[in-house]
Parts: sequence; C-alpha cells; structure tokens
Amino acid sequence: MATLEKRTKWQIWFDVIYALLVREIRIGFNDKFGISWAVLNPVIFILVLSFLRGRLDGGETHTIPTFVFMAYGLINIQIFLQTFSAGASAIQKHKALFAFRQVQPISAILAACFFEILVKIFVIVGLMVAMYFLGIELHAANPLKIMLYIFLIWVFAMSLGILFGLMIAFVPEVKKIQLLITRPLFFISGVFFSLQDFPQSYWHVLNWNPILHAIELSRYSAYPAYGHSGVSESFLFIVVLTTTFIALSCYQIAWKQAISR
Amino acid sequence: MIYLDKITKIYTSNNTRHVLFQDLSFEIPKGHNIAFLGANGAGKSTLFRLIAGSEYPTRGKIITDQHISWPVALATGIHSAMTGRENTRFIGRINGVKDLHAYERKVVDFAKLGKQYDVPVGKYSSGMRSRLAFACSLSIDFDIYLIDEVTAVGDASFKKRAQQALLERSREANVIMISHQIKELKQFCDSAIVINKGQLTFYNDINEGIKRYQAL
Repeated sequence: MATLEKRTKWQIWFDVIYALLVREIRIGFNDKFGISWAVLNPVIFILVLSFLRGRLDGGETHTIPTFVFMAYGLINIQIFLQTFSAGASAIQKHKALFAFRQVQPISAILAACFFEILVKIFVIVGLMVAMYFLGIELHAANPLKIMLYIFLIWVFAMSLGILFGLMIAFVPEVKKIQLLITRPLFFISGVFFSLQDFPQSYWHVLNWNPILHAIELSRYSAYPAYGHSGVSESFLFIVVLTTTFIALSCYQIAWKQAISR
Repeated sequence: MIYLDKITKIYTSNNTRHVLFQDLSFEIPKGHNIAFLGANGAGKSTLFRLIAGSEYPTRGKIITDQHISWPVALATGIHSAMTGRENTRFIGRINGVKDLHAYERKVVDFAKLGKQYDVPVGKYSSGMRSRLAFACSLSIDFDIYLIDEVTAVGDASFKKRAQQALLERSREANVIMISHQIKELKQFCDSAIVINKGQLTFYNDINEGIKRYQAL
C-alpha cells in the first residue's frame, strides 16, 4: 500500500498546482506539433504582423522601431487575453477534478495562468532570437520595469479570470459576454497605435483601459524618448490591486458553492 | 467516524429549489462496511460527494478524523488522452503519495493492465477503465474507500481480487458503497444506510436494510 505523506496546506497546494501543470502540458497539445506550437504560433503571428506594419510605415513610430513598437503591444495584449480566457475557463474545464478535495478551483486557475505565462516567456525569448537574426537592435533601458508591467498585466488578467470563472459557474451565459467584451480589447489597447496619435481631447475615450497604460509604459521603459504622455503607473497599480482584491474576496465567498452546483 | 453537523443541501435548477437534506444531523458509525440504499434521486451520490469533500453543503459542515478517498467512479480524474501510467502519477501527486514508482507498480499489478498501462485510456474498454480507477484508489492507504458502482463493470476475477484486497484491509479500512446491484453490495458490505426523503437510517444488518429499501 502506498503510504501518504503528511503535508502542510502549502505543500498540498504546491503538489496540486504542479500536477495540474504537468497535466496541462501533457494534454493541451496532443498532435505532432506538440507544445512547440503554443510558442511558435504567437511568435509567427507577432513576427508577421509587426513586420508588415514596420514595412508600411518606414521603420520608426514615435522614435522607436515600429517592429519593437508592435511587439510590445502584441505580447502584452496576448498575455492579457490568453491568461484571462484560460483563467475564466479553468473552473469549468477542471470540474471533474474537484472530486479530489485537494483540488480547489484556485489551484486550477493558478495552474492554467502559470502555464500561459510560461508559454509567453518562451515566446518572448523566441522573438528576441528572431530580432537578433533580423538585425533589429535589442534595446531595453529599464528591463525590470518591463517585467513589472508584464507581471501586472498577468495578475490583472488572472483576477478578471477568477471573477468571470466564478460568474460562469453560476450563470453559464456570462461566457458569451466575456467573448463579446474581449474582442474589441485587441483594437483599443494601443497595440497598433500610441495614445500620442490621438488629440488630447479624445484621450478619455481610451485611457480608462489599464492594458493601454501597461503597453505604453513598457514602450517608454524600453525607449525613454518615447515618452509617457497620458498614461500613469499609479493608475495601473491601483486598478490591478483593486481588481485583485475584489477577485480574491469574491472567490473566498463563493468558491465552495461554485463547485457544489 | 463521520459526523454530519446540521447539513442542508439545496440544488437550484431552472429557478426551482430542490431541497435534498434539511438540517440533517447524523453520525456514520465507524468500523462498518456500509451500503447506501435509496431510490434514484434520493441523494445517495450527493451524500457521497459531500462526504468526500468533492462538493460542500449549502449550510452546515461535515466533521471527520478519517482519511477518506475520493469518490471512485468510472471516470473521476481519469483523462482519456493520458496513458494509464500518467493518470496514476497524476492521482498519486494530488493525494501526496510518497513513492510514485512503487505506487505505479502496485496499480499495474492490481489492475492487471500489463502493456496497456502505457496506452492512452481513451483506448481502454470500460472494464479496464474501472480496473484502473479502482486500483488507483485501493493502492493508497485510506481509512474509508468510497466506491460508486465501479466494481460492476470488472470481470469476475477482478471482482474477486478487489474483494480480497478490501477484506485484507478491513481491519484498518472500510468501504462505503453505492450500487444498484444488491448482490454486489452483499459481497462487500455488512450494514446499510437507507436514504429516504432526506432522512438517513442506519441498519446494522445489511439484509434488514435491503428489506426496508425494497419496501419503500
């Protein structure tokens, strides 16, 4: 008989998230491309899109190479969109696994979101390699800040994922609303443009969106000459912290009933 | 001992409230192999899942000092794209099994899967699936095994092995079982709990329980 370890709560958490992560990597990509597709697909997507835009516009956007300008936008928005949708669907997807009382919804959400960020780290490395071979200068004035913004976007996406995942558990139709509201985000978050392209009197239409702030700020951190007009780091922090707080509070209240339906 | 402390369980579907249990307090006694008997929809599976901690009561709580298995049913936790071995490792990791290799060996020996162990579970027959699910649970040291209809699909020799394994462990471990086959229940259990209209009644002798259940 296999004896069981006495584990602390944290160890159980760690074990469960690890087991779920291994499972995700194993079954997420069951064809010949395997897991490499999860990395190749966005790398190719970003390369092609950035390259086309770079060609059209002659090389520089607000003092930074257009390729780099696009790459920051696309990476950030993809991290947001994919982490968000992975987080929001994790509860539904792992429903059968909650039969094991050790597996709690938050572990499933965390595992799904860890998986997304892991893939994105490889995507970023892949892009850097591609840029090296394309002869585009790799320049980051403040790499720590760039990582911080990526982290904030990830946490923001995860918190929204928790909130939507919970709502979907109670009212499945929310899934449709989630798809509806995420679609325009790709176009209004400053992926293809900068806030500076717009007259200041229209900024309020766009600058409620924390993803826009994160994207503009990460461009600014790479090339300080790009500037950071219209965006603010503290706004980003406040939005992310508030969302995380609300998400965790709702989770604490609702998780038991969410899986007991 | 498993103690149900004033549990209420309500399901809401299509705006209708369905009350399964209302302020139910009950002690499931220790040291018995218990069969859950009740009509369809009486709440056997729900009670099962509540005891296992797979879901939670709407109000009240369940208190226990026992190591309880997950509700072993045909499909719980088994992913058809993963091989038998990968599924075993997953279940082992979640439950905190110390030595995964030893655990794998035990499972494959018990389920008699042989080479099929490294084939995706999607290609298994339902009998093989149930053998795998059952072996994964029985190979871990639990105090109480929760078994939901799994043994019904296994062949005769597997049933015999399962019964023997449970018998060997019956001094430290017990089973709680749901099955619609009375014969099956009699093989594994010695006492019964009849679930009827949100109330539980314990019968020390399983035959008595079956008589009561059939009279419902």
